[in-house]
Amino acid sequence: MAAQSDPQGSEFSAAELEFLAEDEMIEIVPNMRMESLNLISGDFGPFHPQISTQVPLWLAMALKKRGKCTIRPPEWMLVEKLMQVLEAERDSQKSFQPLPFHYVEISRLLFDHARDDIPDIYMVRSLIEDIKDVRFYKIGTGLEVISQRTTALKLNHLTAMEVNIVRPFLVKALQTFNKLDNPEIHKS
Amino acid sequence: MSQYYDIDDILAEDELVPAVFQVAANGVGLFDSSDETNKVTYEDETIEVEQGSKVELPFWLARELHLRQALSINLPPCFNQKTRDELVADAAHVDLKNRCPYFYELGCKLFSLVGDKTIALLLLAAFQTRYKEVLIKAQTAAMTVAPKFLTLLTKEETKLYEAAQSSMVAFKKWRMGGPRFQRASVLGRKRRPSD
Repeated sequence: MAAQSDPQGSEFSAAELEFLAEDEMIEIVPNMRMESLNLISGDFGPFHPQISTQVPLWLAMALKKRGKCTIRPPEWMLVEKLMQVLEAERDSQKSFQPLPFHYVEISRLLFDHARDDIPDIYMVRSLIEDIKDVRFYKIGTGLEVISQRTTALKLNHLTAMEVNIVRPFLVKALQTFNKLDNPEIHKS
Repeated sequence: MSQYYDIDDILAEDELVPAVFQVAANGVGLFDSSDETNKVTYEDETIEVEQGSKVELPFWLARELHLRQALSINLPPCFNQKTRDELVADAAHVDLKNRCPYFYELGCKLFSLVGDKTIALLLLAAFQTRYKEVLIKAQTAAMTVAPKFLTLLTKEETKLYEAAQSSMVAFKKWRMGGPRFQRASVLGRKRRPSD
């Protein structure tokens, strides 16, 4: 995909990833009454005040901008949960913690638009930043291990943004290793 | 084999390699790099190359003549002992761009033509060490350190570095925020209708 200005075109742009992330479901508490919306992607139930419903993130953003709802932060975005994840990330050297696939994008969207709906927002924000940094560092150390014997690489529980950043570099590196490796096998 | 339309491949094959003619060649146009006017015409002034003379030819020419068994190819100077020693000592800081910006590509192509089996191992070892450096430098993305290091990298390594760099930079820029929609500069200011 990607913006056509990128000749290599092997990655999504960050804005595109954000767009894809907006399909995730999130819980909102509307403050108005509305009929159910029958959209192509699904039916989103009649909205009653103070009764929470699940809607896709883009719809939540739109309603929030018009002041028609408040957003309830997803379960993984609580301070205790994030602290646990951070501890676990720091402890395990090789493996990554399972996290929602689009956690970076979702968190950024919520910070931008739903600032007042998240308790302890500064804490949450700094925790997510730390988690992100630790994971990136782990990716870096993991990549150092690649040698000519590596035919494929498996990184568990990597999220969308991380995959997108690493993808072009990793693919090229593996290709080059493969290219340098082949003649040997044939000749010797 | 080679990518016919790939610019880097074409440029890589343009590197000079020393070769020794096995037969006396007649009418081979030798582009002497120091003298622009030395192009050969067939009517008069055909350059005769004697057997056993050493010349430096671009790789594409050398390979074709090699297939016709007209010459034998030696290793270009960038693969000589001096470079090898430097690579063994500290691969990460060897200035490959100066010697031969298509180090790896050329090495792969030369492998089948020159009777030297150690090229592949040399390339591999060199790349492994340098790759680690590229990785580290790309991730830290310090603008002061980068330029000095970049001048040492061959074409392929530079592409690798830029791939890592650009995606990181794009992500950081996105994270900074900024308007999601930007007004196109073409739209400009509104002008009143002129009536």
